Amino acid sequence: MEFLAEGFRRAWSLLIAGDSEIFGIALLTLKVAVVATTIACAAGLPLGYFLATRRFWGRRAALTVVNTALAFPTVVVGLLLYGVLSRRGPLGGIGWLYTWQAIVLGDVLLALPVAAALSAAAVQGVDPRIRRTAETLGAGSWRTAWTVAREARFALAAVITAAFGQVVAEIGAALIVGGNIRGQTRTLTTAVALYTSQGDFGMALALGLVLLVLALLVNIALQALQGRGSG
Amino acid sequence: MVELRYVRHRYEGRVVLDFEQFGLPKNGTVALVGHNGAGKSTLLRLLALLEMPTEGHVLWNGTVVSNRARGALRSRVTLVEQRPVLFRGTVRENLQYGLRVRDIRHAAADGIIGDVVDKLGLAPLLTRRRNELSDGEVQRVAVARALVLRTDVLLLDEPASSADRAAAGALYRALAAERAERPFAVCIASHQLEDAYRWADDIRALAEGRLSPVTPENLFRVELAPAGTDTMSARVGAIDILVTTDRAGPAVLAVPPGDIFVSSAPLSSSARNVLKGRVTRIAAHRPGGGVAVTADVGVELVAIVTADAVRELALAPGVPVVFSFKASAVRVF
Repeated sequence: MEFLAEGFRRAWSLLIAGDSEIFGIALLTLKVAVVATTIACAAGLPLGYFLATRRFWGRRAALTVVNTALAFPTVVVGLLLYGVLSRRGPLGGIGWLYTWQAIVLGDVLLALPVAAALSAAAVQGVDPRIRRTAETLGAGSWRTAWTVAREARFALAAVITAAFGQVVAEIGAALIVGGNIRGQTRTLTTAVALYTSQGDFGMALALGLVLLVLALLVNIALQALQGRGSG
Repeated sequence: MVELRYVRHRYEGRVVLDFEQFGLPKNGTVALVGHNGAGKSTLLRLLALLEMPTEGHVLWNGTVVSNRARGALRSRVTLVEQRPVLFRGTVRENLQYGLRVRDIRHAAADGIIGDVVDKLGLAPLLTRRRNELSDGEVQRVAVARALVLRTDVLLLDEPASSADRAAAGALYRALAAERAERPFAVCIASHQLEDAYRWADDIRALAEGRLSPVTPENLFRVELAPAGTDTMSARVGAIDILVTTDRAGPAVLAVPPGDIFVSSAPLSSSARNVLKGRVTRIAAHRPGGGVAVTADVGVELVAIVTADAVRELALAPGVPVVFSFKASAVRVF
């Protein structure tokens, strides 16, 4: 117990003192998470809408693939991406291995199925008459999609939250393709793993607390957005 | 205006519509009758250009509608579905929706909305949201949301199913008022025939995806009760009409005027319905020629006969007459 209490005391003092390393790691994590979530949702939400509303050959198979990808192990994604981005890999030429962009790429691959599968479920939950009504009133594809999205706003906000949660808590891919380089690719999760293995429990705990606060703030922001208007 | 030709439409391999022609003339009114599942809603969706038939053509002003042209033409037709829904937001925002799609905003939109709102008595509802409205009010708002678009074609699927008699009357009056100011074609699919028949130019019946013409005469809302091994009986006014059908309970009966035999005395025949009465009116029949003989046989029935038959039977108001028709001639919807 003494060990835990000591860890918390050190974590608290580091946070109060405004440790620059902690804030640097937190900022990088936030940047990676926001960029990856934005890209994953920008592609995943329309994909989910498409899968939910269009009837085409292979739709069921596509939904199965997306749902299976939800449970894809993060280290496997990291490993495959490492192979692709490494010098001898097909995308080795762009030199992204061990950069924050590589972490974003890995996170997008992991969050995209989350955004697509959950938004498909969210759209399927909207009364189908909403889409039909928009069409009868002359709305084109984009406006119809926007109208359906407005009706599913609570569920879609939850999708964004889930995608952000997936990205911010991810460690496998970030560790493998990011390399956990101090000041460059060290995110909150990889740093927590590192400092724990080094025995600096207080630092790891401080970073863990920052991660929790970050997740909490994003959730509060999305809930505030959901709360605006009803009916 | 809009026409469907040689249509065979399938859902998941099952044929749901199969007919040669259905047309909605320019500024015309057509009532579509049929029981639930007969294919009325699907037919309206084809007319609304929301779907294309699996086989056959949709024509707009005589020209076959291609998939490319469909998008542009869709803004000239609108459909109010059975059990309509409102979007998130107020009634006013709902009324603005289709106008925004057409880039009509601000004062122009307010003017159009105000006009329709007055006709349908929706002014007190404008700031309300969908969860603050009754089913009947939602239906009226949905009709208003379609009317403000001023489309060339308005399709209504059971527009008064959630409304009480007074509200349904108000709805039809508003439609009539709107058409008086600005003619447009209307097609109404309805069970509530009494209102639709009052102003529909043409009535088409849909059963199992197939169409048949129906004349507005001799139509009755009845309760079918078993009468024999293969017949049902329906009480209409002071008489019972025998019908060949496997349906029971509430239904609408149509006795085609051309299928009624008119005689001066009861005929020895297979006709199960033999009704005695007196001629009340004789008039030239509108479509297809012939003479419409109306008689009170316990209820008013109209029979179409030739002018020669009128002369031979010396038919005139007050003359005793017998109307006979087969149980299988009566149509049930």
